[in-house]
Amino acid sequence: MKRTYEEINEKIKKGDVVVMTAEEVIKVVESQGLESATKEIDVVTTGTFGAMCSSGAFLNFGHAEPPIKMQRVWLNGVPAYTGLAAVDAYIGATELKENGDLDYGGAHVIEELIAGKPVHLRATAYGTDCYPRRSIETYISLKTINQAYLYNPRNAYQNYAVATNSSDTTLFTYMGKLLPNYGNATFSSAGQLSPLLKDPLCRTIGIGTRIFIGGAKGFVAWEGTQYNTTVPTKNGVPLRPGRTLAVIGDMKEMSTEFIRALYFHRYGVSLAVGIGVPIPILDQEVMKFASLSDKDLFAPVLDYSLQSRNRKPLKEVSYAELRSGSIELFGKKVKTSSLSSYYKARVIAEKLKKMIEEGEFLISRPVQPLPEERSFKPLDIRSKEEV
Amino acid sequence: MVKKKYLLSFTPAIVNEPLTYKMIKEYDLLVNILRAEVSERGGRLLIEVEGKPSQMNKGISFLKDAGVEVRELNEYVNRDEDRCTDCGACLSICPADAFEMDKQTWKVLFKGDRCIACGLCIDTCPPRAMKLRIW
Ligand code: SF4
Ligand code: SF4
Repeated sequence: MKRTYEEINEKIKKGDVVVMTAEEVIKVVESQGLESATKEIDVVTTGTFGAMCSSGAFLNFGHAEPPIKMQRVWLNGVPAYTGLAAVDAYIGATELKENGDLDYGGAHVIEELIAGKPVHLRATAYGTDCYPRRSIETYISLKTINQAYLYNPRNAYQNYAVATNSSDTTLFTYMGKLLPNYGNATFSSAGQLSPLLKDPLCRTIGIGTRIFIGGAKGFVAWEGTQYNTTVPTKNGVPLRPGRTLAVIGDMKEMSTEFIRALYFHRYGVSLAVGIGVPIPILDQEVMKFASLSDKDLFAPVLDYSLQSRNRKPLKEVSYAELRSGSIELFGKKVKTSSLSSYYKARVIAEKLKKMIEEGEFLISRPVQPLPEERSFKPLDIRSKEEV
Repeated sequence: MVKKKYLLSFTPAIVNEPLTYKMIKEYDLLVNILRAEVSERGGRLLIEVEGKPSQMNKGISFLKDAGVEVRELNEYVNRDEDRCTDCGACLSICPADAFEMDKQTWKVLFKGDRCIACGLCIDTCPPRAMKLRIW
């Protein structure tokens, strides 16, 4: 059985499309079999809501009177990058406020903008013939700013590590607080709802794929940074962090329900981003992957007290075990915590389903597929001659 | 029998007196020490007391008469429901299992009555939903 993007979109326009969330489809395939489920279901929706450090926003402030070529910009005291044109800036989610505190940063500025709050803008400049002004101080909001869009170079990781800690002191990491002596384990992926785990080869997800991002409709812009296809698989799905997406969306359409500033104690700031990706069921193979459940998806357990990129997994555990509340490590029961919200992942998959059913969200054929083979190169210390 | 949590503050002058011991003995109360701290400014003790209501009232009056500042504590931390994203980062940290994952809705429930006031959830929660009420 084959189905085309055009057929699916025709059905969406007519109101005849059959959509299910990645969670619902598991049960349908279990009860009626792969073949019949493939025939019946046109689209499967996924969702995830978790810390995605590699996020940020491009802002265009509009021109002042007299105009200024902004050389340095601070938003609520957080520096934004301005090596762009006169009134453009990029604020990174993990950039920190310039006062030494670790707990307020770009992510908070982004959340406050999306919440509709006023944000303090300060800019300095060297002054040129066409841009004479040397400084400006004012307030902006999402209502008054010319343009604001999220551009996140690496989101929606395909799988991720489970973090634990063998040492005898507490570790404060981007995977949260890790208690000593394997006191707990934290994980991040939404498992059976996670976009790239449900289309592991990216057969339907590519550049130009329309997605749900932060409450708005956005797009996959490119392969994400650290995109990696050379990882071991199980059931055809990567067992290690694999592919990633660069995504883009208009902040003016977003909601703080799906964008949330985070602070990881003694680590720094990050941004929780909600992303949903529809998977058009083009054939039975796409459906087979889309209906894999938490029992079939595995993640590696890593000891975060070893500060090396070469640490070997202690074991592999399924998302079903992770979600049960504990895993077993060396014969000991270790409590687990998710860092991403399965509740919100579900809300996103449901919302996307509704949008498609109501004809508000069409499925797009990728303009260009993501790379089929790409390895993730490490950074080594080399001489000029060696590179 | 009732169970209540109290925060006791001792001035430096009375830190050395075995007042809690006397209260336990004289009024037949069951006391569980949740947290204790001594500094230049005196001592602070967070206890959970179990016993007959009449005995409990007498025990607390005894402490007050001895110069201890007593505050009943119903909430040590509270949760800002708007900020909580139901991630579950707190689940594996809380030693008292005060957080529970509802496996139907996948919302994280907070059972404040189980809290033993360790404070660990406060810096664990990434969106900063857990707020300190006292101490
Ligand atoms: S860690 Fe914070 S946000 Fe996450 S479930 Fe617990 S209270 Fe809610
Ligand atoms: S203060 Fe400690 S016991 Fe109370 S809810 Fe937080 S982690 Fe649990």
